[in-house]
Amino acid sequence: MGKNFGIGAFVLGLSIFLATGMVFSQETIKIGFFAPITGPAAADGTSAKNAVELGLKEVNETGGIRGKKVELIIYDDRLNPQEAVAIANKLIEKDKVIGVVSGSYSGPTRVTAPIFQKAQIPMVVGYAVHPDVTWDPKEKKPNDFIFRNGFLGEVEGAAAAEFAVKNLKAKRISIIFMDNDFGRAISSGFAERAEKLGATILTRQMYKFPGEKDFRPYLTRIKEGNPDLIFAAGYYNEAASIVRQAKELGITAQIMGEEGFDSPKFLEIAGPAAEGVIIATNLDRDDPRPLVQNFLKNYRKTYNEDADMVGASSYDAFMILVEAIRKAGTDPKAIQKALLETKDYNGLTGKISRFIQGEVVKPVQIQIVKEGKFRRLGVVDNIEVITPPPKK
Amino acid sequence: MLVQQLANGIAVGSVYALISLGLTMVYGILRILHIAHAGIYALGAYTGWFAFRLVGEFWLSLFIGMAGSALAGYLIERFLYSPLLHLPRIAPLIVSIGLFTAMEETFRIVAGPHTLTYNAKIGIGDLSLGNFKLTETQLLILIVTFLILIILWVILSRTRTGLAMRACAMDAETASSFGVNVKAIVAINFLIGSAMAGAAGVLIGVYDNQVWPTMGSIPAYKALAIVVLGGLGNIPGTVLASFVVGMAETFFIGILAIPFPRDAVAFVAMILVLMFRPYGLLGKG
Amino acid sequence: MVSGYLITILITITIYAMLAHSLNIITGRAGQISLGHSAFFGIGAYTSALFYTGAGLSFWLSVPLGTIISGIVGALLGIPCLRVRDDFLAITTMGIVFVVEAVFLYIPFFGGAMGVGGIDPPKWFGREMSKPEYFILLLIVLILLLFFDRRLERSWIGLAWSSIREDEMAAGTMGVDIVRFKVIAFILGSAIAGLAGGFYAHFLTFIMPQNFGFGQSIVILCMVVFGGIGTRWGPILGAIILGILPEISRPIMEYRTFLYGLLLVAMMRFQPGGLLGEESLLVKFFNSVGSSVRGKRIIKNASRS
Repeated sequence: MGKNFGIGAFVLGLSIFLATGMVFSQETIKIGFFAPITGPAAADGTSAKNAVELGLKEVNETGGIRGKKVELIIYDDRLNPQEAVAIANKLIEKDKVIGVVSGSYSGPTRVTAPIFQKAQIPMVVGYAVHPDVTWDPKEKKPNDFIFRNGFLGEVEGAAAAEFAVKNLKAKRISIIFMDNDFGRAISSGFAERAEKLGATILTRQMYKFPGEKDFRPYLTRIKEGNPDLIFAAGYYNEAASIVRQAKELGITAQIMGEEGFDSPKFLEIAGPAAEGVIIATNLDRDDPRPLVQNFLKNYRKTYNEDADMVGASSYDAFMILVEAIRKAGTDPKAIQKALLETKDYNGLTGKISRFIQGEVVKPVQIQIVKEGKFRRLGVVDNIEVITPPPKK
Repeated sequence: MLVQQLANGIAVGSVYALISLGLTMVYGILRILHIAHAGIYALGAYTGWFAFRLVGEFWLSLFIGMAGSALAGYLIERFLYSPLLHLPRIAPLIVSIGLFTAMEETFRIVAGPHTLTYNAKIGIGDLSLGNFKLTETQLLILIVTFLILIILWVILSRTRTGLAMRACAMDAETASSFGVNVKAIVAINFLIGSAMAGAAGVLIGVYDNQVWPTMGSIPAYKALAIVVLGGLGNIPGTVLASFVVGMAETFFIGILAIPFPRDAVAFVAMILVLMFRPYGLLGKG
Repeated sequence: MVSGYLITILITITIYAMLAHSLNIITGRAGQISLGHSAFFGIGAYTSALFYTGAGLSFWLSVPLGTIISGIVGALLGIPCLRVRDDFLAITTMGIVFVVEAVFLYIPFFGGAMGVGGIDPPKWFGREMSKPEYFILLLIVLILLLFFDRRLERSWIGLAWSSIREDEMAAGTMGVDIVRFKVIAFILGSAIAGLAGGFYAHFLTFIMPQNFGFGQSIVILCMVVFGGIGTRWGPILGAIILGILPEISRPIMEYRTFLYGLLLVAMMRFQPGGLLGEESLLVKFFNSVGSSVRGKRIIKNASRS
């Protein structure tokens, strides 16, 4: 009797354990996420991870998706493409995720895109800019399971030029940009549009990324040309150095930047030199929508620091995916279809009218630094400018 | 523009000199490729930053940063390098690489991945002469570097310790047979070299207003190129090479405007010089 | 069905094993410390990628071409580098990495910052090779390389290398043409690194200049030394352990890179010859196990007769 009881209890316990395990696995919706959490890009990876975890908390606290909790599977890619390939395979096969969010840079995102495309698992990309993330250069067709929430470099550059030439009346422009895919794409988009609108590009200088800290040689050269606007592309560390050193050298030209500047760290490092700098970005901090103000407030409360563009874009990417799952259920193909049909989605980083070839269509925000804060200056919503150019 | 670029180049060269000198001293005496020297440099910046937050006084924080780096350098020598000296040089090289990785990650874990700002009031003011301008931080770098170089020169050429240091760098075995305490001299080399790297870290932290976990990753290899360019272990050669590289970079970018990555300049210069002078600018066979 | 995740890791490790093996020829066999190995890895990857996407050659031609070109560049760069004092070699080869990376990044022909995409996995029998098949192909190549290495070690080239490694000056006075044998090691090592690069490009399908930076050289060198420099199996074991480590340490995400660094320090501090090198505890352990097994067998055989 005693012995049988023991066995019975064991079997019962085991079956409860298995049953809860099964119920548990049935009840969660698995979403994959990768970002460079250690290594050289850890700052951006951590911002992305923090923001997405905030989104996860919100979703689960408000009842999850269709009554099921969302489980986020987070991996660190260290900005290493081999690791990213392994992660992609792991997310697909071991974790069996139904959708993925990229909180990483171009390199890891670009190598994983064809893998998710082949496995037909939708991926929403936060801020990686490489054009071939959403495009198969071999077959010359879109990777139709990949969607990008951030702007293409060309689009953001063109929007910045639109504002610089039309609103700021810039005629003589110098450009300085970093030598990676983002710097090149955004500066060529800017130059093309600015020249089309009649401005003259005086100099185009490229600097080494990562690692450049001393911009004085570049800026001294820019100063010689006496431009009325400097378009600078870079991430916040480099951006802050550019702005500070320009001030030191007595450069009075208007400095215009892009979303890479969009971080509280830029304001902190550049200090008073940041005052008056104008940037093109996707986050409008003066946006009155509660979605935006609550995010900014909650981020500050949870992490004791202010949110940046990388975080906001990754949060949006996650929420876009969540919304699609809400609409379509847990079948990856149905989710992809819902993403394709995205229309007038109310995102943290602006109203997304739709995706064209996986590229987002939404207005570009123009912000200015006033009293140590990013403030709204204008919006570029000229359809000709913000529609991603067709790929071929 | 030329004069301004000259000033820019000298400021950059000064910082290179502070980092590279420590490295060349270590190399001169132990023949170790001390990659973790760049970790010591970053540690100086972090220690100085932390001290500045506590006390709010720049000069004191510079001193504490140098002291922190000196201590770390000494500990590395004592517990990691010295037991490995009898081995092929690749063993300490790997230790150094591993240590550098671990240090960078420690900074990130302890102080967070984001850049910290080192916004210190120094109180010496800018220097303007017509169109030419030296900012306060540039001036600071020049003054501190100059002072440190003078002190180093006095130690090396006017004291008994300095004589012993030079003797050890030439031939440690012979020096030992003449009664020089080689162990103590090695320790002194590490202390001085690491303190200089720490000073460089603090100065760069203030100059850029940025202290971040991977700030050492470029100095880690660029300093090696400079040290080789100057002739490994050769102190005046290293100073000369630092200014040559600082100038060359600035002129490449600012005057010739050739789209060429800055970091490759040091290595191209190094390879070119080695073709004609296989022992570096001032190195001797 | 074999998991694609596992296969991905196995392929990565096999590629690293080839790299570690090739660096071991330069650093272990001929005793020349090179920090520039990732440059040749990159040259092989870029050459085979561009021959494939640009010239339309097949995998079976583009990868050997990458190998040959990498070997040629190895010779061209090796000859001047090996002239410098041995202390300088490590740093001069490091310079090669920066120059080669700059060429990939700044010359538009090489795809610049956008990298090179659209490199397909190889085809055979009229279809695309599956991941497990690709792994088996790489494994066979690796085994052939190791077999070749065994032959090489026992040839006069191997003897010349060991004499240079042990005492370069003595080897020189004995009439060994030092520069020539060093260059042979450099060419062989670079060519095999280029071969690994070709395999890597067709595995990742997209390559960027940053994939072949200085950090990659360090990773390869660490594998060689960790496993046991100069031994045949050491670098392979190093590639396996340091290749798996980042994967199995995923749960401690925040600390894994830190631990990687610490492990290198601890390894060199307490086992400087590497896992399979001189004074290796592992080898001693297996030898003692092996000898006791052998001992038992002898007793068994003896009792049988």
